[in-house]
Amino acid sequence: MLDFKLTQPQQEVQPRPVAEQSDQVYDLIIIGGAPAGLTAAIYAGRAALKSLLLTGPFPGGQVTTTDMVENFPGFPDGINGAELAQRIQRQAERFGTQIVMDTVTKVDFSTPPFTVRTDSQTYRGRTVIIATGAVPRRLGVPGEAEFFGRGVSTCATCDGFFYKDKRAVVVGGGDSAIDEGLFLTKFAREVIVVHRRDQLRATKIYQERAFANPKMRFVWDSVVEEVLGEKTVTGVRVRNVKTGETSVIEADGMFVYIGMVPGTKLFAGQVEMDEWGYIVTDRRQRTSVPGVFAAGDVQSPDFRQIVVAAGSGAMAAIEAERLLAEQSGTT
Amino acid sequence: MPLLNEEIAEQVKQELVDLAGPVRLVMFTQEFECDYCAETRQLVEEVAALSDQLASEIYDFVVDKDRAEELGIDKIPAVAVIGAEDYGVRLYGIPSGYEFTSLLHAIRTVAAGKPELTEETLAALEEVTEPVHIQVFVTPTCPYCPGSVVLAHQLAVASPLVRADMVEATEFPQLAIKYQVMGVPRTVINETVHIEGAAPEPMVLGKLQEALEGTEEKV
Repeated sequence: MLDFKLTQPQQEVQPRPVAEQSDQVYDLIIIGGAPAGLTAAIYAGRAALKSLLLTGPFPGGQVTTTDMVENFPGFPDGINGAELAQRIQRQAERFGTQIVMDTVTKVDFSTPPFTVRTDSQTYRGRTVIIATGAVPRRLGVPGEAEFFGRGVSTCATCDGFFYKDKRAVVVGGGDSAIDEGLFLTKFAREVIVVHRRDQLRATKIYQERAFANPKMRFVWDSVVEEVLGEKTVTGVRVRNVKTGETSVIEADGMFVYIGMVPGTKLFAGQVEMDEWGYIVTDRRQRTSVPGVFAAGDVQSPDFRQIVVAAGSGAMAAIEAERLLAEQSGTT
Repeated sequence: MPLLNEEIAEQVKQELVDLAGPVRLVMFTQEFECDYCAETRQLVEEVAALSDQLASEIYDFVVDKDRAEELGIDKIPAVAVIGAEDYGVRLYGIPSGYEFTSLLHAIRTVAAGKPELTEETLAALEEVTEPVHIQVFVTPTCPYCPGSVVLAHQLAVASPLVRADMVEATEFPQLAIKYQVMGVPRTVINETVHIEGAAPEPMVLGKLQEALEGTEEKV
């Protein structure tokens, strides 16, 4: 069954401007081009703030990899994730926010106007919204990075085909791990789920499907310690966390689904974060630095919903606008 | 029975409404049509019908061997997207799923004859003096892939020495094996340098330069 999707390729945004006036100060700089940041951009544009959005290398963010978004209000028949991101971006551009594909490399929030640097430019903004989202967590074990794209993957829908009649290890026990693992059974001879606990965290319906699938096997209470192989992956070494015993599982590839990590490395020492690296915000999306706000998955792992990200982006932009109004009122 | 439903056809029409110039979709199939050859031919014809600026040309890979060689077509189904000139933009395998986006962007870029790349990239491409062949391996179910294909096609339009192919890996399993494709997108430049995953423009440019340095050393 063939289908034809019309989406925004992730790199198609306006290339960065060649020269930027260094004395120019934006009212608002939004870091991140996914639903939280883009929604903030809509509100900033409508508030007539002089605003700039820096998308990072992959505009649209996590939602662009979702085939069908069925829970975003206003789309009763569902909408392709990339298309949704593209529509929100169009809406933001319509209201005048400058959207530039550039990746932030350094920030300085010590005194306003805040400095936001990319490889080639330095931008300054009276306020900043951090909306850098979250990315799939990596195991961080030997062999994982070396074999990435050559047997280690985080996208079964992309790469499942290459595991026809092969054996694949899936690491994790949540919805993504089981859903993608089940997808892999369409191709693979055997799918071995390695999970650090003795039961799955995935939704009941996924669990039932997984346990009923004759191609799926489970290795409980175990963590992957190393990806083995020379030219290609030949297996993974696992350690049982209860007994401490290690063993080798022969496999041609490994798919990793062990949750997400917030994209906050850049902001270390600049704003307060919790022990997991999420940016701490109050009910008004304010961070520990007055004038710096955060929205979306970067400040909360609790919901991970597009509508929540968009909502918090709107809140952050409204708060930024209020602060700017207060500041201009007092000067 | 059309491949594109009315809703998608209408959207495509809108996407193509302001095409900057004429574009030919030159498609290669053969009499005994390969897997997806018939569908690719039909798709090309359906898309071509959606804009006055578009035309489709269908050739037989065997009968029209000279034409295929002229365009550097070495496997089918193949689509060469040709504008005011042939920029070396090719798609091998059916551009379905997420790759349909790549086809439309190839059409738009070729029509304009002007790539959307940074000044730095354009300046670096001016320095290229050796032929560059970029192959981007994809699957139709890979949301990260069109970004890499579109970028490769932009590079082809930007430089007369660069040609760029989308290669749908599931239709050319022998190539997937040859180039050790275990994940997509996988970009292979001049057979020597490869990139795993969706890479941003400066990184792809860096790898392109790396591939050229490699050839200079060999000479």
